[in-house]
Amino acid sequence: MGVAVLLKQVPDTTAKISVSGGRVDESSIAKWSISPYDEYALENAIKMSESGFGDVVAITCGPARASKCLTEAAAVGADRLIHVVAESTLDSIQVQALLSAAVKSAQCEVVMCGKQAADTNSGSTGPGLASILDFSFVGAVTEVSMEGGGFAATRLGPSGLEQIEVGSPCVFTFDKADTELRRPNVRGIMMAKKKPIENLSANDLEVETSNSRVSVESHSSPPEKPPGQKFVGVESIAEVVSKLREEANVI
Amino acid sequence: MAYEALDFYDIDSLLTEEERMVRDMVRDWVEERVLPNIEDACRDGVFPDQWRAEIGEMGILGAPLKGYGCPGLSYIAYGLICQELERGDSGVRSFASVQGSLAMYPIWDFGTEEQKEKYLPDMARGELVGCFGLTEPDYGSNPGDMITRAEDKGDYFLLNGAKMWITNGTIADIAVVWAKLEDEIRGFIVEKGDEGFSAPEMKGKHSLKASVTSELVFQDCQIPKDRILPDVKGLRGPFSCLNNARYGISWGAVGAAQSCFNSAREYALSRIQFGHPIASFQLVQNKLSWMLREITKGQLLAYHIGKKKDDESWIPEQISLAKMNNVDMALEIARMSRDIHGANGILDEYPVMRHMANLESVKTYEGTHDIHNLILGRHITGIQSFTREL
Repeated sequence: MGVAVLLKQVPDTTAKISVSGGRVDESSIAKWSISPYDEYALENAIKMSESGFGDVVAITCGPARASKCLTEAAAVGADRLIHVVAESTLDSIQVQALLSAAVKSAQCEVVMCGKQAADTNSGSTGPGLASILDFSFVGAVTEVSMEGGGFAATRLGPSGLEQIEVGSPCVFTFDKADTELRRPNVRGIMMAKKKPIENLSANDLEVETSNSRVSVESHSSPPEKPPGQKFVGVESIAEVVSKLREEANVI
Repeated sequence: MAYEALDFYDIDSLLTEEERMVRDMVRDWVEERVLPNIEDACRDGVFPDQWRAEIGEMGILGAPLKGYGCPGLSYIAYGLICQELERGDSGVRSFASVQGSLAMYPIWDFGTEEQKEKYLPDMARGELVGCFGLTEPDYGSNPGDMITRAEDKGDYFLLNGAKMWITNGTIADIAVVWAKLEDEIRGFIVEKGDEGFSAPEMKGKHSLKASVTSELVFQDCQIPKDRILPDVKGLRGPFSCLNNARYGISWGAVGAAQSCFNSAREYALSRIQFGHPIASFQLVQNKLSWMLREITKGQLLAYHIGKKKDDESWIPEQISLAKMNNVDMALEIARMSRDIHGANGILDEYPVMRHMANLESVKTYEGTHDIHNLILGRHITGIQSFTREL
């Protein structure tokens, strides 16, 4: 038993993204990081593990460079590391199939991940896994703790904080929370380096990944923002007000 | 925008994964905790206690020391830690240098088993702060003529004298103090609260404002007999500590220079004069390329001496060269960066004037620029020129 945490390696939110030949130029990305929402999932999983809920199994799916996020997870307390090695671009359903198979092989009945990834923002991984694995699903939670034989989850509902009780097996996706994320330390980093990473291929997991039903045609940069407008003096008030009302729609 | 440390010759590719992770951990900490608060800390003239606690939690103090709860990292990792801390502020790096190289190191190398067990694990966690007392009001570059004396009184040692320019002094729980016992320099551990010991803070600094600098005063200060460091006599004791600290400074200076370069580059690209970014003017490009050139050389120097520290093939003169060169280049880069920033360069909105003021201290402490030249001069000629008594 244990909790599986799904980590996606994405360009750091502060990294500069450039597009060349209709594709994001990955070689120009200076820093790759664990997707921020996934970090909240990891923090919660480690806390649960500390209060006695078995191991934290960190799982990532991606190319060789993605193993770095497993080592980073180990540095803050992940116990087992699984890298589903996938060099080619996969669609969401294929990623879900691979991750589901990895969760099964790790025999985890609780899965935690971010509510969406910082790069694709698709938000399909958590619900997709729940569907494939036939687990319950609670989305956009800020905290999960053990409660009786099951779990108590907190999420921001339409009219305030919702408390949800749910039993195992279950997938939780995490929203940004006030939780302070733990920092690694030297001891953690040195232990992480010694921790083995289990590399699994689509073949090992017996998942077919050759028949993608979705393909990305091209990437492009968002249109440049029009330059800001400057108004000076009292006489421009009327114009500013009308622009705020009619163009910006903020008053 | 993400901070991209200048690394023109791809030093990054020479690092181990562990070294990179330690570097990134410290870099992230500096980004999140130091940079947003450093100007307030300077204005208030304090080293925030929270920083001490968090540096301790990261487990980076006494980085290259092994055993007794110390990290046991490589000297390269220690250098990277200094680089990232000093990219934040020289005062933050000074805290770590003094704790690790000047207070923990002598206990680790010259102390008794009991002293190591008693002090090192708490010091590695940052829970016990140390300082290092060598310099005196009248003896800076010439510590061999120090006045501070220790007398063996049978049951205890009696210390008398004063030390000055002591980083961490007022906030320290223990001080490693060098004093003459029967005309021979010996190391002693003095604890806060020992009778006759006080550590008043020195005020009015225009440099290293976020670092605590103090005097240490010993007036018939009695310390137990088991507080002497048994395994070293003479200047070799303090100098071996200084070698480690100077090594760290050679990396730290690179961090300060990277920060100044980064700020100059960004400013030059965004500042428009005569209808064009000033980065498009040849004089500015010449300055930026000089900065890149000097930082790159300094990085290679620091990396290479780091490798020599790790395989124990170094000599002290090589560390003198690295400390002297890198601080000198960092200070020149800070000044040049201020120049590129124009009038804006004097504002605390940019880090350059703070680095510049800090580096004036860094140029002077841990062996002044000139003293390192004399160390090299002696190495080249075989003739020492420190004193007239030849």
